[in-house]
Amino acid sequence: MLEMNQTGIYGSVMTGYGDNSILRPERWLKTNGRRISTFLFVALITLSAQVSLASEWTGPAQQLAGEVVAATGPGAAALEITNRSSLSHAEFDQVSRELRSQMGALGLQFVNADAAAATITISLSEDLQNYVWVAQVRQGAGTSSVAMVSTPRKGSAPVGQDAAVAVHKALVWFQPEQILDAAIMDGSPTHMAVLDTEKVALYRLEGGRWQPEQFLPIPHGRAWPRDARGRLILRKDHLLDAYLPGMFCSTTKASPLGLDCRQSDDPWPLGDESANLKAFFAPSRNYFTGALAPGVGRETAAPAFYSAAALPRDKYTLWVFAGVDGQFHLLDGVTDQIASKLDWGSDIASVHSVCGTGWSVLATGSGEGLVDTIRVFDVADREPIAASQAEKFHGPITALWAEASGNTAIAVAHNSENGNYEAYRLSFLCGR
Amino acid sequence: MKRTVLAFFAAGSLLWSALSHAATRPGYGGTLRVNMRLSSTSLDPADVVQSGSFAGNNISSLIFDTLVTLDRRGVAHPALAISWQSETGGQRWQFKLRTGVKFNDGTSLTAEQVAASLRAANPSWKIVASGDGITIERDVPDAAMPAELAMERNAIARRGGSAIQGTGPFAIQQWDAGKKLILSANNDYWDGRPYVDSVEILMGQGLREQMLALDLGKADVIEVAPEQARRAATEGRHVESSDPSEFMALVFAGNVSDEATAGLREALNASINRSALANVLLQGGGDPSAALLPNWLSGYGFLFSPPSDAGSHPAQTSRQAVNWSLAYDANDPLARVVAERIVLNARDAGISLQPGTTNKPDLRLVRTPLASLDVRLALMTLADSLRLPKPNLASESPEALYAGESGLLHSRIVIPLLHLRASYGLSAKVRGWRNTPDGRWYLNGVSLDARK
Repeated sequence: MLEMNQTGIYGSVMTGYGDNSILRPERWLKTNGRRISTFLFVALITLSAQVSLASEWTGPAQQLAGEVVAATGPGAAALEITNRSSLSHAEFDQVSRELRSQMGALGLQFVNADAAAATITISLSEDLQNYVWVAQVRQGAGTSSVAMVSTPRKGSAPVGQDAAVAVHKALVWFQPEQILDAAIMDGSPTHMAVLDTEKVALYRLEGGRWQPEQFLPIPHGRAWPRDARGRLILRKDHLLDAYLPGMFCSTTKASPLGLDCRQSDDPWPLGDESANLKAFFAPSRNYFTGALAPGVGRETAAPAFYSAAALPRDKYTLWVFAGVDGQFHLLDGVTDQIASKLDWGSDIASVHSVCGTGWSVLATGSGEGLVDTIRVFDVADREPIAASQAEKFHGPITALWAEASGNTAIAVAHNSENGNYEAYRLSFLCGR
Repeated sequence: MKRTVLAFFAAGSLLWSALSHAATRPGYGGTLRVNMRLSSTSLDPADVVQSGSFAGNNISSLIFDTLVTLDRRGVAHPALAISWQSETGGQRWQFKLRTGVKFNDGTSLTAEQVAASLRAANPSWKIVASGDGITIERDVPDAAMPAELAMERNAIARRGGSAIQGTGPFAIQQWDAGKKLILSANNDYWDGRPYVDSVEILMGQGLREQMLALDLGKADVIEVAPEQARRAATEGRHVESSDPSEFMALVFAGNVSDEATAGLREALNASINRSALANVLLQGGGDPSAALLPNWLSGYGFLFSPPSDAGSHPAQTSRQAVNWSLAYDANDPLARVVAERIVLNARDAGISLQPGTTNKPDLRLVRTPLASLDVRLALMTLADSLRLPKPNLASESPEALYAGESGLLHSRIVIPLLHLRASYGLSAKVRGWRNTPDGRWYLNGVSLDARK
């Protein structure tokens, strides 16, 4: 059984790095022998999570398949599966595969609607506590029937009494090199890009494991600043852009896929595209200078800051900047309000959660130590109120960026026990 | 990771730590001012009229406790009862009571008082007090008993004497029936004293008056009509809304529910443009629905798709002439505009409806709040309140529930229209606001920001 808030759903089974764009397993094994045992251990854990997850769906899928085939009998059928629930794309794909597999085993063959004796429409829905999978079966012009099964939803266990939001962290990747950012492209198959100071690595999710597809080196002549930062932005007309201190990289539009990098002081995007705000990053430091483009209302500059979070309101967007001076500046285009008493760390991001006031701030914990935290805060007016328990990480958070959907975020923790950098995808569930 | 210069951090961390507690922890004190339309003449939770409304339930939860509470996922948690178990397939239930609980007048809660309170609300139940618990026996197995005991109408009250007493987070300080209720915090509340010192509830306030009171800083919590919620938020007010949960429907009277009018009823159903109701009249304050229960509660509501969102007009030539009276609550402006729109839709389909407030109408426009976050209980209670046949729920499976709801809808006595959101406008002082998916308050956790 996949434990909430503990293990990943994607699993990192092998780290890849090197100076070539193609992974060489033999070299990897040779140069990383000491790390193998650790990797294998984690791989085993994550693989077992995958197996558990698959078996979690098997029971209900088997049950629903049995009810469907009892109505249709074996033969040719058209099948459509839709997701009306909070299942992620990856989970939806797993359930779909499981359902197809179970129905196939009972003698159904899936064909186009015009060649089908029966049409099966399966909706993966949910109620407050359970996933509710509904199959509507139509046979020719005859009558239709409905079959349903339910299975407990992840996170249906009660959360802390005062927590409105539960943070769910899923480990998606780890490696010894510093991860600056990661971007997951949900789809079929799901892909992932991992940015570090040397390359953009692309992976494909296959059988519950990330398989390396391509490594795109980042050429650079000068040393990176200490505590380097970087960000990946997925694009519509090409795969992605990568922002690094003093450098901008973009994947090629034509095949084969390449990465064009150049020295650049171009501003980095803050928030998603709809936020329409960029900021200039100090090329030899680890923070943004404060210069904004085009600005927040009339304000074209903020104090130098490490990170920012956008909180869209009805008539404006409230921006929260985690200042280098330790203060948090709230800019709404007219005023610059300082919230100096917040016990937040340097990295913040905004996400659109499923509960509370809609847009919330994710904030790392303050202080330094072997453990860091990320916590959700609702900012109903200008007063952040903790909306979740603090989610712990085994080391400081070194990167925190919202994903393009606005519903999830990527956090990178530097594990103080094994030295690895671990990328987590954070999602959010309503608590009490 | 904290990237601030180490020296600066070291010097400032202690100060930060001290300040952060002051800044982020909710403060005690203050009076929370609430406005509502309800003009209740009774605070008794067993009063059916009162407990059938959001506002009534919300008031009741401030003064009284139930044996069990449901969280926002509909899961039962201990309240005045700390544990429970069923025997004989759910026909007999034993509840062990929390010890040390006191009524707001300082007297201790006893099992006998709990039994007496539940008997008053459920005359058909056989309830026996036994030591530190009670036993409830039903005529038939009742798997939803814990959820049923979480309903406000089953809140525990001590009746008799000069005033009704509860064990809730607030005590009645002043009660001017139908006009004003002042509650003071129960310092000895078993679940922790509320943050605010008192709650002042002004009753019988129109929605426009409430909005004005919020804007003038004279109210902290107001009700916002579903159709006004979006605008209120756009104008800069802090508005919190529930999921679409309050059921709005047309219900036919017995005289027009026979087989002879089945075709006409279906034609009326098909003529109603629910999308226009939801998007134009309600401004997104509700969702169109052809189901009794909202999809977020049942998981299968989408199977009941409305016959036509554009409003269809089946052939009118063979249709017999009818002139049905349609009644709605004259005090509800939303009901009036919805009724008027339905009359227009029906006219386009060749059906004549006469809107009004007659006592014996052919069909009624009704609004019914969701009774429970327990889906089975919600359906049973809804059917009961609409005077529909009792749904036949063969088991607790979603299929059985779907079959039960299908049966109610196929009777064609009720035409679902919408599920409405419950919305509240909050002043800038209000912190820690939480409401359930169906719109109930959690005022125990609300505090007031003294700096606002």
